[in-house]
Amino acid sequence: MLIGRRSARNSHTMDKSITLPPDEIFRNLENAKRFAIDIGGSLTKLAYYSTVQHKVAKVRSFDHATKEAASDKLYEISVQEEVTARLHFIKFENAYIETCLDFIKDHLVNTDTKVIKATGGGAHKFKELIERKLGLKVDKEDEMTCLIKGCNFVLRNIPHEAFVYAKHADSEFRFQTTQPDIFPYLLVNIGSGVSIVKVESEDKFERIGGSSIGGGTFWGLGALLTKTKRFDELLQLASKGQHTSVDMLVKDIYGGSYGSLGLTGDLIASSFGKSATADKEFSKEDMAKSLLHMISNDIGQLACLYAKLHNLSRVYFGGFFIRGHPVTMHTITYSINFFTKGEVQALFLRHEGYLGAIGAFLKGAEEDNPNQYSWGENYAGSSGLMSVSPDMNPMQRARSGTFDMLEMDRLERQLVNLPLLQDPSSYIPDTMDLTEDALAREYWLYCFEEALDGVVKRAVASQPDMPEAAQRAEKFRQKYRHKLQTLRQQPFAYGSLTVRSLLDTREHCLNEFNFPDPYSKIKQKENDMALKYYQKAVKSLEELSWEQRQFALVRVELMAFISCEHPERPWLVDSYDQWFERLKGPPHKCALFFVDNSGVDIILGVMPFVRELLSRGTEVVLASNSGPALNDVTNGELQILTERIAAMDPVIQAGLREDRLMLVQSGSSSPCLDLSRLDKVLAMVVRERQTDLVIIEGMGRAIHTNYYAMLSCESLKMAVIKNSWLADRLGGKLFSVVFKYEVPAGKPSQHSAALSPL
Amino acid sequence: YNVHSGTEISHTMDKSITLPPDEIFRNLENAKRFAIDIGGSLTKLAYYSTVQHKVAKVRSFDHATKVNRDDKLYEISVQEEVTARLHFIKFENAYIETCLDFIKDHLVNTDTKVIKATGGGAHKFKELIERKLGLKVDKEDEMTCLIKGCNFVLRNIPHEAFVYAKHADSEFRFQTTQPDIFPYLLVNIGSGVSIVKVESEDKFERIGGSSIGGGTFWGLGALLTKTKRFDELLQLASKGQHTSVDMLVKDIYGGSYGSLGLTGDLIASSFGKSATADKEFSKEDMAKSLLHMISNDIGQLACLYAKLHNLSRVYFGGFFIRGHPVTMHTITYSINFFTKGEVQALFLRHEGYLGAIGAFLKGAEEDNPNQYSWGENYAGSSGLMSVSPDMNPMQRARSGTFDMLEMDRLERQLVNLPLLQDPSSYIPDTMDLTEDALAREYWLYCFEEALDGVVKRAVASQPDMPEAAQRAEKFRQKYRHKLQTLRQQPL
Repeated sequence: MLIGRRSARNSHTMDKSITLPPDEIFRNLENAKRFAIDIGGSLTKLAYYSTVQHKVAKVRSFDHATKEAASDKLYEISVQEEVTARLHFIKFENAYIETCLDFIKDHLVNTDTKVIKATGGGAHKFKELIERKLGLKVDKEDEMTCLIKGCNFVLRNIPHEAFVYAKHADSEFRFQTTQPDIFPYLLVNIGSGVSIVKVESEDKFERIGGSSIGGGTFWGLGALLTKTKRFDELLQLASKGQHTSVDMLVKDIYGGSYGSLGLTGDLIASSFGKSATADKEFSKEDMAKSLLHMISNDIGQLACLYAKLHNLSRVYFGGFFIRGHPVTMHTITYSINFFTKGEVQALFLRHEGYLGAIGAFLKGAEEDNPNQYSWGENYAGSSGLMSVSPDMNPMQRARSGTFDMLEMDRLERQLVNLPLLQDPSSYIPDTMDLTEDALAREYWLYCFEEALDGVVKRAVASQPDMPEAAQRAEKFRQKYRHKLQTLRQQPFAYGSLTVRSLLDTREHCLNEFNFPDPYSKIKQKENDMALKYYQKAVKSLEELSWEQRQFALVRVELMAFISCEHPERPWLVDSYDQWFERLKGPPHKCALFFVDNSGVDIILGVMPFVRELLSRGTEVVLASNSGPALNDVTNGELQILTERIAAMDPVIQAGLREDRLMLVQSGSSSPCLDLSRLDKVLAMVVRERQTDLVIIEGMGRAIHTNYYAMLSCESLKMAVIKNSWLADRLGGKLFSVVFKYEVPAGKPSQHSAALSPL
Repeated sequence: YNVHSGTEISHTMDKSITLPPDEIFRNLENAKRFAIDIGGSLTKLAYYSTVQHKVAKVRSFDHATKVNRDDKLYEISVQEEVTARLHFIKFENAYIETCLDFIKDHLVNTDTKVIKATGGGAHKFKELIERKLGLKVDKEDEMTCLIKGCNFVLRNIPHEAFVYAKHADSEFRFQTTQPDIFPYLLVNIGSGVSIVKVESEDKFERIGGSSIGGGTFWGLGALLTKTKRFDELLQLASKGQHTSVDMLVKDIYGGSYGSLGLTGDLIASSFGKSATADKEFSKEDMAKSLLHMISNDIGQLACLYAKLHNLSRVYFGGFFIRGHPVTMHTITYSINFFTKGEVQALFLRHEGYLGAIGAFLKGAEEDNPNQYSWGENYAGSSGLMSVSPDMNPMQRARSGTFDMLEMDRLERQLVNLPLLQDPSSYIPDTMDLTEDALAREYWLYCFEEALDGVVKRAVASQPDMPEAAQRAEKFRQKYRHKLQTLRQQPL
């Protein structure tokens, strides 16, 4: 985001980006340091580290000692400036390098920077130019080391970085969930030639093979055969050709398949075999296609053989031959499937083009320990996948073929897997993949577009004292609408499209325009209101019998979400009876409770529930968002609320005092929940306290995400479906209740008979 | 040999373009069990025949019934003996009709009803063969024939396999026959590439292959250079410089890429320079680059499959290899590079005949050819390299057209002496004249000098036969010709 003096000058319409003002591309240059540059055959990738100032909303209890409560407000909200670290990666054609260097020179304020790390084949060619323009010393880094470092970094930090390509599937891209352990893997880098690298750990890799038949061969032979000099044009030709007119197929030799050897008739027996004897002219398209097949198949076979020899199952492909080209991704994928009979999948990377630059940057930034932090892709500042694909509509292509950006925010907290996930490697947070489900995608994109006016209004209303808020809100509207449009055309732009990613993108865009927490005042009001009813609510619950109370707690918890009449049982998903039976048994050791909304939900729904658990002798860990998202209660707010409740309620007070009730932050600022990216402290607490129950509540965390999440301990997912389309999808109707109590298979508890999961 | 038509034959091999067919198709009278392997450009014909030999027999005098007329210890008699011989003839497809006509005219044996056929061209010429010969064409699986033939030559022909070393004193280093030939990898480079793992006489599996093969060299070469003939493309390649077309490691990094162990001269990208350079490339350079690209690729694939299947013997065959020093060299180089010398590229002297031999063996199973030992008949066989483009043109023109292999069935089955310490490393010969040029000179001279004496001895051994002198003269010419051939091609 652009802060301070220049923000007013910026046109935030990405559509004009061929003539994009450089300050839109090279953002936050004022504070930039640690430059790195990767100069390839045609594209330059620049990386730098910078800091951005955010406005963040902070909550604080009024200091009752020195100050009268000016109003009846529960706590004070202040907007503060906070500095966070961000990595910027910009990709542009080599032709622009001089202009770009000039711009950087003019805007670079930070004078500590003395050195620029450089990698890539073109680094030595432009060394003198860079040194003269920037006045920085060019420090060359080993290309392969940078590539691998960059690859490790994106695989570890960007969810949905890797994907499988399937041309004819409903969704071309199938994104892979981040693996807890990324090693070992095989990286097949197809540049001019091919390098096949086995990566065993962060610092250990070996080039185990390679081939001279690579992208340069396609380009070089293609140019000789077709007189077409541009790589992209050659690919275009290839995508239109018929290889069978040039290649000799098995059936051309044997009249059909060669059954005894298992060779089908359509298999290519000899690439260019027909041009050996046929006395005719071959079309450029056909020759280009034949060449593409020949090279892709060859690389595919070599990759498979090396993978087998070294017993590796994850094979990533990169390099300019692959980069964003559906044609080559398709032929490579086909080849891998053919040679391994599906045993090995060809994997591609969303940010493959940036690996060298990222790696060079990391080499230069080692003293900042970038690998000790977790990083998150900033959807607001990043171009999506495939913005350079030749298959995109020409306008879009022309736009973003020129410049492409990736921004990554350093997250305050290091993120790790929830230790209670049954199988971290197969965990997928999102319930529905909108990339693969066209109907669902249509619906949700429409929803978010419809809701945009309301969000804009809310944002403006949240800053009544700031006259330019309306203007900023308008810019937010344009940016987010543009993202939605991009996603409609390229649903895969930021990995799998999900309700979560749509919500998160909206949060990133709001932050971008300094609307750090549009709901802060509403939350404050609601919390204040609810708190007034707390004691009364607790009292009425206390008056119920134990059995009645258990059901009332669940009812109240669910009621908090809706204002209409509570639906009768049986609910859409209803394992209350099993839960109730379980409650008759011994208490849980420790419950981890992911909370949702501010106000009635947290105060009148969650807290009484927590109280009951504490009374049973169960320790409770309350996990709330680190940063704001919609009206979700944040960790900061929850601290204050809990203190206030403790002052009224001896059970909660005792819990806090005896450390049986603990508040932790989730590490997230999303209305949804990714159990594979949680605060490291939370994971530690969960492990130390031998947590044996996980409670997740609310639509965002229990329905949009984690609906199918399998945990290694008992779990309880509670939500009311407040969206009729989604309710319909799940087989219910609006305000259907989901109460899902699950016990992992093979872990029967004392009351196993009653505890079979639904 | 040539018992019946001996007098008609001109024994000057030099005229062999117009070689009379009866020089080529010998012993047709008694021929049976025909097999034919029709490739893209060459036809290989195989048949089984019997030859009548004169053999000298010795016998003790029958003392009981006969009086000892002189003081001789035993009696010597010359008898006719019939032995089995396999004939293999290779000729260009262009001659197929003429050859079929000749065979038809001279085929006496009427028991033959069927001809076994294999090779990609078999179905194309099926009708012609059936019409001309009146035999039913019986197709045999190409790969099975190839493997059967390969097993047969590896087992029966000593020094069948060799290693090629372009710059060594002797280009060819022959391998001694291994007591156990299995398992091995056969890389057959025809139009495409088949990589076959052979585990026993009857068990083989095509474990891999590639579409980048001889057809690709030929096809891409033709498109790039407008040169349509395979041999000419190889000629071009042997004269070119690949470095003007290929992008080397040093072209990218200014030198070697030390941390990855890549030397500066390594090809980083085949044809990488033609992607951006705005210049014309010579036909020779492009052909050379193409040859390297394909040979290296096949070499790498072969090595990877050999490693994956734990095989150390890798034989290369197919028309891409067949007698072409250029391709043998590049394949050998590639194998050495990728295996760091752990695996050797092996080639076969009679590689071109494998399919025909295999097809013949399929048809001759009732004669149990695998139960006998067979020996190459040097008198009736053309030597290795007679089709090499590097040979002197006259010689090339001669034997490019026809090439022969004859194998005699040996009376006794031959095996290793069980007392050999290490049968696999046993080499009977003390001195290898292929590798020792001085010794070779000397011994070739010796044998030539001794020839007159041998001729005299031969004539003297048959005082009763007036035509002995004439036959001895033919012997002299044939043997002298062989000696001359060996001087030029010691292999």
